[in-house]
Amino acid sequence: MIDIKKKVRAFIVENFLFGVDDELTDATSFLEDGVIDSTGILELVEFIEEEFSMSIDEEELMPENLDSLNNIELFLTNKLQKK
Amino acid sequence: MVQLSQTLVHHFLEYSAITKPDKTALIHEDVRATYKQINSEANKLARWLLDHNITNGDRVILILENCVEYVIGYYGVLKAGAAVISLSSDIKPEGLKFCLGEIEPKVIISSSKRERLLQNSSIDSFNIKYLLLNKIKHTWNNISFKVFLLDKVIRDYSTLNPDISVKEDALSSIIYTSGSTGKPKGVMLSHTNIVANTRSICQYLKLTDKDIQMVVLPFFYVMGKSLLNTHFAVGGTIVINNKFAFPASVLNQMVQEKITGFSGVPSTYAYLLHRSPLKKFKDKLNSIRYCSQAGGHMSKQIKMELKSALPEKTKIYIMYGATEASARLTYLDPDMFEDKIDSIGKAISGVKMRIMDENGCEITDGQTGELVGSGQNIMMGYWKDISLTKKVLDHNGYHTGDLGYKDKEGFLHVVGRKDNLLKVGGHRINSNELEDVFLATELVLEVAILGISDSLMGHKLAAVVAPKNNDIDAKQLLGECAKRLPKFKLPSIVRIVRVLPKGANGKIDREKCFEIVNKTAN
Repeated sequence: MIDIKKKVRAFIVENFLFGVDDELTDATSFLEDGVIDSTGILELVEFIEEEFSMSIDEEELMPENLDSLNNIELFLTNKLQKK
Repeated sequence: MVQLSQTLVHHFLEYSAITKPDKTALIHEDVRATYKQINSEANKLARWLLDHNITNGDRVILILENCVEYVIGYYGVLKAGAAVISLSSDIKPEGLKFCLGEIEPKVIISSSKRERLLQNSSIDSFNIKYLLLNKIKHTWNNISFKVFLLDKVIRDYSTLNPDISVKEDALSSIIYTSGSTGKPKGVMLSHTNIVANTRSICQYLKLTDKDIQMVVLPFFYVMGKSLLNTHFAVGGTIVINNKFAFPASVLNQMVQEKITGFSGVPSTYAYLLHRSPLKKFKDKLNSIRYCSQAGGHMSKQIKMELKSALPEKTKIYIMYGATEASARLTYLDPDMFEDKIDSIGKAISGVKMRIMDENGCEITDGQTGELVGSGQNIMMGYWKDISLTKKVLDHNGYHTGDLGYKDKEGFLHVVGRKDNLLKVGGHRINSNELEDVFLATELVLEVAILGISDSLMGHKLAAVVAPKNNDIDAKQLLGECAKRLPKFKLPSIVRIVRVLPKGANGKIDREKCFEIVNKTAN
């Protein structure tokens, strides 16, 4: 069972929070709370595509799918189930 | 009806609050605020400031992302007669300390998201009197200033416009720009500067109260600020969306809110074209009357792709300006979009643009010289930097540092920066031309062309490229470019990146691009 949140959290903490993750909750909005800026979102998307071997369409680049750990888990779980 | 004075920046808000009190001025997520509501809150803040001796001659720093609180803060400070300095929402402690030292503000208005930044910036050593926050989450102990919850402290103040005298030529704001050199410069703008420029922009964009603008650019950036002031001046509506990183959601909102106008810098449009489903929205975006673009040269490739991706009736305004010009200096009439695709157009109303040589003489024969602008929109100068101000401002106006020429029909063209003049083996290189060629290969999302000093050649050309797909490599790119360029114009260094580094305003960060080139070279 892949732990999606754990993997994505580790990537974000390492690349955007310099190891400090005390303020990153599962519900934290990356953009609203300044965790990741707009450039970083694309890096995150690239990571997700590589790590989970999938491609994310332009139409799927929505906050509901990608703007928090909870949203990412729901989005990816659905996508992986459809594969 | 009494002729209402509109000579100060906050008059735009006050006038709209009288003529259209219940009109929706601003939409952001769940917030839909009317002119009356925003004006009332701004008045309360202004009165609080005045009550605490913050007025003419004082400065207030604003560090907020785009939201209704930002707008209230901005106009509230102006109504109190003070000057507002709006800083980038992703400013770091070093940058903030620098600004605090230079600006010496009495008040900082910010949000709980910035508490950590503020606590790490030793703001106590800068004689701040008050810190106003929209929420307080951290503990503030052992400080010499007072920390207040913004809504709470202004709550009981009157909602009427304060009755104080503010001069039109008084400092209204300081906007930091780094330009092409490292050190940030504080551009001082008076009320007249902004009011004059706002009026000109409203005129050429033909803005009316029916206009609804989608705002993805930050307000702390002079172009973003002009979106706010122009739409408030005409009694229109602004729709704030801070999630342009998810362009599909911005497009959906544009359809939902029946947006009439959209503005961006070159990277905004590159993303819209290649990282969003814009092309599939063509039939749904019927309400868009126009798109405007400024913030640097946008390649011909992107311009033509944008034209075909947008509804046929949508006009595209290409514009040029500088923070030092309160934003706008020229615009290209959209009817000339294709005929003059490489042009930045002609001067806006109230502005004169001239091409001048190094001796201060005007060039009238179509030769290349420096673009110099004059008008009521030209800044007062740089904050606390008289010598730098003298280098760019003189009796002829503002020396933009851009080189260009005027063609036979009077249309202006930019060829490059004065201080960034690239020469490779004696050949002068126009970096815009090279960027256009990269984009014309249709393999590239964005590119930055840099000149690396070379003792032998003058400059070596380097390109930092974000290709459209991961499987495009430097060899393939150069191969395509070689079909369109002579050898001496081909970059000898190419760095492929996923995305070009950008500032918070969306403009390409050339300094970080240099770092990318130098880092991998070592």
